[in-house]
Amino acid sequence: MVSESNPDVDDLPRETADVLLDEMMRIRAFDDAALEQFREGDVPGFLHLCHGHEASHAGMGVAMAPDDWLAVGGSRLHGQYLVKGVPMPEAMAEIYGKETGPNRGKGGSMHLADYDRHLYGHAATIGSGQNPAAGIALAQQMRETGNVVVSTIGDGGTSRGSFHTALVFAATWDLPVVYVIENNEFAISYDAENLPIEQLSDYGEPLDMPTESVDGSDPVAVHEAVSAAVDRARSGGGPTVIESRVTRMRGHFEGDKQQYRTETDADASEADPLTSFRDRLIEAGHITAAEYDDRYAEFEAKAREAVEFAQESDFPDSEVAYDDIYEEPLYGQEGGDR
Amino acid sequence: MTEKSITEALREALDEELQRDERVYVVGEDVGDFGGNFGETQGLQEKYGDKRVRDTPLSEIGITGHALGAAVGGMRPVAELQFADFAATAGDEMVNQIPKMGYISGGQFTLPMTVLAPSGAGIRSGAQHSQSVHAWMGNQPGFVVVTASTPYDAKGLLKSAIRDDNPVFFLPHKNLMGKKGEVPDEEYTLPLGEAAVERTGEDVTVVATQQMFHRAMEAAEQLAGDIDVEVVNPRTFAPLDTETIRESVRKTGRLVAVDETPLRYGTQGYIVSEVVSNDFFSFDAPPQTVGVEDTPIPFSPPLEDEVIPDTEEILAAIRRTF
Repeated sequence: MVSESNPDVDDLPRETADVLLDEMMRIRAFDDAALEQFREGDVPGFLHLCHGHEASHAGMGVAMAPDDWLAVGGSRLHGQYLVKGVPMPEAMAEIYGKETGPNRGKGGSMHLADYDRHLYGHAATIGSGQNPAAGIALAQQMRETGNVVVSTIGDGGTSRGSFHTALVFAATWDLPVVYVIENNEFAISYDAENLPIEQLSDYGEPLDMPTESVDGSDPVAVHEAVSAAVDRARSGGGPTVIESRVTRMRGHFEGDKQQYRTETDADASEADPLTSFRDRLIEAGHITAAEYDDRYAEFEAKAREAVEFAQESDFPDSEVAYDDIYEEPLYGQEGGDR
Repeated sequence: MTEKSITEALREALDEELQRDERVYVVGEDVGDFGGNFGETQGLQEKYGDKRVRDTPLSEIGITGHALGAAVGGMRPVAELQFADFAATAGDEMVNQIPKMGYISGGQFTLPMTVLAPSGAGIRSGAQHSQSVHAWMGNQPGFVVVTASTPYDAKGLLKSAIRDDNPVFFLPHKNLMGKKGEVPDEEYTLPLGEAAVERTGEDVTVVATQQMFHRAMEAAEQLAGDIDVEVVNPRTFAPLDTETIRESVRKTGRLVAVDETPLRYGTQGYIVSEVVSNDFFSFDAPPQTVGVEDTPIPFSPPLEDEVIPDTEEILAAIRRTF
């Protein structure tokens, strides 16, 4: 099914509206700071930014309980890490490759994982994270933890066979997993419009899964859809596929010249989910423009502190490169019986 | 001690570990009522139910990929591939995901999972069902790669693989599944990452596993009284216990590395290089390698027999060191 109408902000508990807005601001402030540092030449590797995906990330993250697992996917990941509860300084440190990151610098922006917060790292070979997500869900089902897994992917990843296999396994075993497809219409440059399928959530239909396509620029719509799917999964109702239609406001990575964009593509400023949610909240009398500016300034300050933390943190000792390859001793070796 | 086949030994190992630890489950194509491709899971679903001996849709991506997540989530899956060749159809999971997630996470994730997959040639099944793949996965740091040569090894090593906190790629040999041997009646496990000196000798060291182990033992018997052959079974190829092999060569001064992997970038070259680099002056003769020539495994029985090393080839290689 398609949810065309955006739910009314007034129907939303005030605290939920607040936390959705906070999460969106946190993501934007974080990525703006990361962009600035990348331009300074301070951040190693590629940089993929979330601009345009904030509402989708916030709506999804806020719909999850703290012990639910998030297996991140797609290419716009920072916001997903943050909504799962990774503090900005730790996330920034990992993006810098510093030892104070959750992965101690071995993951970076594409692989940030936080076991204690039930954040599974990204399968950076796009589309390979959905089967591990099914497996985490199977572990929850077999251990009867009551936890649910949310797994994200972009439009590009849905063309991988591994994605479809994951849906088959999830449906066959009624696993407590929610697959969220963030469709920003571009797999780097390949336009999702070229795909023959009407909406990407329809991939769940042959497997008799509940499916839904929502406006991913509306955090309230995403929150409602993911909450319903999480509740269904938690109560034994099995998996769901949700398409969250978003706009990719920037290039695939910083430095992408985007020759493939046409003039008819959505104007970035009009598509900005942060400003449109801000305007809705102002219109609903929930917040004033001045209050918004003050709150946003606080997040900008926190993002600057995160950058300072990352800059001041040490790189891992070079010997750390040889840690974590094997759990040692191997079974049966001296002292190795478990 | 009771005489059992490798299939029976594997089944006992699975049975005992399913009994011992409720986090263990067996999962794969046809592991349930069908009883496994070689009979290795016969009767287990009846005993433990269809949740713990779990049939899957046909997808190695799903079998290995979900097992990775289940291991992170606190289970200890034994994921079966009907043939080790099919590791390639789960290439991303087997190469990019499973052996790397523990490392990438900075040690936050432990992956106590086993991929159980019969490998090797000799069952007349053609090029896509006959490969020896332990060099592929041995080339992926993060995977513990184990081969089984006897029923004793098969049971003791599989139990250890299931209890180990690493991802283990466990490879019995397709053509040895019916091979019988003595298996202790009491509970036992064997250490991972340690080679076994299966036959002591003074004149030459032969390193071999699986089918090649049995052919090396035959060669050693044939030479007895003339050349005193020491046979070392690496058991675990990754990480490789090079110390036991080097110690043997320091004693014998000669080395023959025999394996069913192709000679081009196979395990033989790595074993020889480890000893040459560290113990060059122990050698009385150039080390020799025996393996599959650089060809896919053919179907026709005489052709398959041609490319798989036989006892004669091992004998010839041993003689070349004198």
